[in-house]
Amino acid sequence: MSKILSTRLSRRRLLSAATTATSALAAANLFPRRVFGADHSVIKIGFLAPLTGDVAAWGKPGLDGCRIWGEWINAAGGINIGGQAHKVEFVAYDNEYDPAKARAGATKLIREDGVKFIMMLGGDTWPGVQPVADNTGMLFSTLLPSDLSPDTATLVAPAEVHPIYNVTGVDWLARNRPELKSYVICAQDDALGIPSVATYLAAFEAAGIERLGDPLLFDPATTDFAPVVTRMLASKPDIVCLDTAYTDYVHPICEQLYLQRFEGQIISCTADFYDKIIERTSREFVEGLVFQFPDFDDPALETQGVNFRNPNRFFEEYAKRYPGEWGAVSWEYASIMDLWMAAAEKAGSAEPDAVLAAMKEGGKGLHAFGEADWWGTELFGIDNALVGNWPVVVIENGKAVIKEFGNIPEWWVKHGDLLVQHMEAYGQMHYQRG
Amino acid sequence: MPETRALRISGALALAAALVALPHVLSFSQQEILVFLVINVLLVMSYRFLALTGEWSLGHVVMMGVGAYASAIVSKRLGFPVPLAMFTGAAVAAVVAWLLSFPLFRMKGFYFLIGSFAAGEVIRLLWKRFRDPFGGPKGLKRIDELPDIELGALQIDFFDPVAYYYFCLIVVVVSLWFLFRVERSRVGLTFHAIHWRDNLAASVGVDTRGYRTLALVIASFFAGLSGTLFAHYVGAINPNRFSVEEMVYVLTWAIVGGTATFYGPILGVVLLTALNEVVFRELGLEQARPLIYGVVLIAFVVFLPRGIESVVPRLLRVGGGLSLSGGRRGT
Repeated sequence: MSKILSTRLSRRRLLSAATTATSALAAANLFPRRVFGADHSVIKIGFLAPLTGDVAAWGKPGLDGCRIWGEWINAAGGINIGGQAHKVEFVAYDNEYDPAKARAGATKLIREDGVKFIMMLGGDTWPGVQPVADNTGMLFSTLLPSDLSPDTATLVAPAEVHPIYNVTGVDWLARNRPELKSYVICAQDDALGIPSVATYLAAFEAAGIERLGDPLLFDPATTDFAPVVTRMLASKPDIVCLDTAYTDYVHPICEQLYLQRFEGQIISCTADFYDKIIERTSREFVEGLVFQFPDFDDPALETQGVNFRNPNRFFEEYAKRYPGEWGAVSWEYASIMDLWMAAAEKAGSAEPDAVLAAMKEGGKGLHAFGEADWWGTELFGIDNALVGNWPVVVIENGKAVIKEFGNIPEWWVKHGDLLVQHMEAYGQMHYQRG
Repeated sequence: MPETRALRISGALALAAALVALPHVLSFSQQEILVFLVINVLLVMSYRFLALTGEWSLGHVVMMGVGAYASAIVSKRLGFPVPLAMFTGAAVAAVVAWLLSFPLFRMKGFYFLIGSFAAGEVIRLLWKRFRDPFGGPKGLKRIDELPDIELGALQIDFFDPVAYYYFCLIVVVVSLWFLFRVERSRVGLTFHAIHWRDNLAASVGVDTRGYRTLALVIASFFAGLSGTLFAHYVGAINPNRFSVEEMVYVLTWAIVGGTATFYGPILGVVLLTALNEVVFRELGLEQARPLIYGVVLIAFVVFLPRGIESVVPRLLRVGGGLSLSGGRRGT
C-alpha cells in the first residue's frame, strides 16, 4: 500500500492513463450493437428536444414534467394495452436544436431504443427528422404546428397550436380593455417569431386595434434591447406586443420597457419565470400583463372539462422537484402523453399507425383544456392539429391567473380569412414554406 | 527504405480496410454520426489549408453554407442533378471567396480574422433577409437527396447512412489527396513561406496576396463541398447551422488536434466528436455534455498545447523502439 502511495504520478502517466481510459470507454461504447425490445412489459417513448443550448428552456422542463407523469402512471399500474399492463419509460436525446443531430437522435430512438412514439419541440429540427419519419412511419408530435404540411402524415400537434392560440389573448384584451386603441409589435426574426407576428396582426385587426408602424423584427442575436424598445415607444402605443419571444428576449425587453417608463399594456405569448421579471422591474409594472401559459396551481384548471391529470398536484410536485423552473412547456409534453395513452389503450396497441388512427377517430380529441377538433387543412394542408380552448392568463398581484378559456375555432370561423391573409403575406402557408 | 515504404503501404491498406469496415461495427445512430464526422473532416481540413498561409478566418463555416445553399437552390429550382448541383455549390463558394478576397486581403492577422467574421455575418444576414430564394430564418428544406442507384442486383439507397458514408468517404479521400498534393507542391511551399516570412517572400517576388487568395479560394471550394454533402443528406439547412458557434467548433477541432501536420485536425475532429456525440451520450451525461466538453477542452489546452498531433511522434517512437529492440533480439 505504501509502495502504491509512494509512486509518483507524473503528467505522462496521468495523460497515458486518461487516454487509455477514454479509449477503453469509447471502444466499449462504439463496438457492440445494442439489442432492444426484450422487455415487452415496458413501452418506451422518445423525447427528442433541445436539452442544452439556447432553446433548452422549451425542451428540458418538458422532460422533467414527463418524468413525473411517467412515475404517476407506473405507480397507478401503467398503461393498459390489450388487457396487459405496461410500464412507460422515457428515452431522451438532446438534439441541441440542430436538424442533423435530430436526425441521428430519431434514428437512435427508433432503431436502437425501440420507442413507440417520439415527442419533439419541432421547428428547425423537424426537417432533419422528416425523412426518417417518412421511411419508418413513426408517430411524432410537435409543439409547433407550422411544421405540419400535407406531407407530414405521421406528425401531430396535439398540445399546442402555436401561434394560433395567441388570438385568444388579444380577443380578451379587446373585450376587457376597450380603451386600448393602438399597438406596436416586435419579434425575433426567426421561424418561431414570424408566424406569430402574422397571427398577432390578424388578431389585432380582428379586434379593431390600430397598428402603429410595421412589426419591428430584430435579429435573434440581439442582446441590447434599449434601441428596440425606444423605437417601439416612439409612436406612443397603448399596447406593446412581445410576440412569441424566448425568455432571453422577454425579460430584457420588459426591463427596458420599465426603464423607459412605459405605462401601457403588455401582451406576450409567454412570460416564463415572470417572478424574475417582477424582480427586475416591479410588481406594479407587471400587473395586468397578458400571456397564454398558466401556472398549474390555478384553481380554474380543477374545473370540469380540463383533461390534464391532477394539474394542481402536478404543479406542486414539479415545484418541489425543480424549484423555479416551471415554464411554458413543463406540462405540454405530459399532456401529449395523456392523449397518446388514451389512444393506445383505445387501439389496444402501441404501434404508431394504430395509435394515430385511434387518436383521430371521429375528428375529435381530448385536449388538456377541453374537447377539441382535429383541424388545420386550411392553414397547414392537413388536419393534424388539435384545436379547442386555450387559457388567457393575466398577472394579478404578482401571480398568473387564468381569466378565461378562449375558443380558437370560434375565432377562426369569424376571422380565419384574416389569418390566412397575414400568414400568406409572411410566406407562412404550407405551400409557401421551404 | 523499401522497408519503410512497405510499412506505409501496409498501414494505408489497413486504414482503408478499417474505414470500409467501420460502419458495420457501429450502431445505427453512430452510423449517422459517422456521416457527419466524415463531412466535418473535409471542413476542418479545408480550414487547415487556408491556415497554411497564416490567416485564420471566422467565416469558413459560412463558406460551407454558401456551398450548401447554392447546391440546394440549383437542384430545387433549376433542376440540376444532385452531383452536378454539389459541384456547382462548391464552385459558387469558391467564387464568393474570390470576391471576398478583394476587401479581406487588404487586411492581415487579427484584422483579417475580424473582417472574415463580418463578411460571414453579412452573408448569413442575407440568407435571413431574403426569404426568396434562401427561405429566410427557417432556411430551405426538402432538399433533393442523392438519387438511388440501381445497377442490376446492385441497389444503393443514399438515405441509408452506410451508403452515404461510403459516398462521402470517396469524395473526402479524393479531396484530401488533392489538398495533400497541393501542400507538397511548390505552391504549398510558397504558402508556408508566406506564413512564416511573408515580407521576405514578397521581397523575392512572391505575389503574397495572390497566393493567399488562391488558398482562400481552394479552401472555400472544399468547405462548400462539405456543405453540399451536408445539405443533400439532412435535406434541410438554415442560417443558424452556419453560425459563429459552429465556427468555434471548427476552431476547436483544429486547435485540439493541431495544425502543424496533415493529420492533426483529423485527430481533433474524430476524438472530440466521439467524446461529445458517443461517449458522453452513452454514459448518460446528456445534459452535462457542454460542461464536460469544456473541461476536456481546457485539459487538452493545458496538457497538450501543441495539439494531439504532438503525441503521435512520441507514440510512434515508442512503437518503433519496441520493434527495433525486438529486431535486435532476433538477430
